[in-house]
Amino acid sequence: MRESIGVPSMVLAAGYLGFGALANGNGFPLWAALLSTASIFALPGQLAMVEMSLAGTIATAIVVTVSLTAARFLPMTVTLIPVVRRPGRPAWQLYLAAHLLAMTGWAASMRRLPELQAGERLSWFVGFAVTNWVVCVLATLGGYGLADSLPTLVRQGLVFVGPLYFLLILTGETRTRQGIVALACGAVIGPLIHLVSPQWSVMLGGFIGGTFAWALARGNGRA
Amino acid sequence: MPDAAPVALPTLYLFLLVLACGLSTYLWRGLGVLLSGRIAADGEFFNWAGCVAYAMIAGLTMRILLLPTGTLAATPLWARMLACAVALAVYLLCRRNLFIGIATGFVALTALLAMA
Repeated sequence: MRESIGVPSMVLAAGYLGFGALANGNGFPLWAALLSTASIFALPGQLAMVEMSLAGTIATAIVVTVSLTAARFLPMTVTLIPVVRRPGRPAWQLYLAAHLLAMTGWAASMRRLPELQAGERLSWFVGFAVTNWVVCVLATLGGYGLADSLPTLVRQGLVFVGPLYFLLILTGETRTRQGIVALACGAVIGPLIHLVSPQWSVMLGGFIGGTFAWALARGNGRA
Repeated sequence: MPDAAPVALPTLYLFLLVLACGLSTYLWRGLGVLLSGRIAADGEFFNWAGCVAYAMIAGLTMRILLLPTGTLAATPLWARMLACAVALAVYLLCRRNLFIGIATGFVALTALLAMA
């Protein structure tokens, strides 16, 4: 729990401050911005939703796009849940905890949880994730309130923090060789596919890049 | 200076849209819980799923940095790349201190934009 109050929360807060500022600047209502942080809790999807809804994109296309940017949660949940699962643990606890799963919580948990006793893992994850969730909602509120007084330069800097955060954490925290290969493949293939098909680039780039990296690491392991 | 002219969206429409986006996001989290019980925890499938997750986020991150939409679209590519390089270098030099790295990137981009 203490670990989540430090750097990850401060950094997430910066990203959501940026989101709040962006929502305000685009005339997106405060209540909807707060509701999106609480119910979606995934920065890329929220940004896509705000920008597309204000551009007048039809609702079906927005929901599909947001869902596709969230497809990354499937492999994350599939890998995290077996680590926290215990016999006799009610399934609803896992389904509830899954809502709080996001990039930060997943990366930190996959690193820390295996070091903990099986019985303590779920409470560690929930403590970490709930803290971050509350911080994100408050930061959205703060960013929205601050936006009117921030100059454009500072607002651009704040929005930049979101992707920069992912760039640093992925570069610095990925330990396995397979993970590093997957990052490199995704980083190259994702933007390339985006040039052809913006709506499908996140999902297709992940499947193609990830599968390629997996096959490559597997082939190397055998040789 | 606002980024765009405020667009009035009907309240009920917006409420349902946000909830639908929340549900469509949760779909993957819930499906992950459902599937995780039926597949061996340390099998090749999980290796593959981890690779796909890493590749998706790396692709999305690079896409936002190289081909941004919205607020960042107004910033030049060279400024974003230079700020990333400075932030990454400082982050690695400061023993992977995420906060120092992020703060450096924020200051670097703001300063580069101010000079440009």
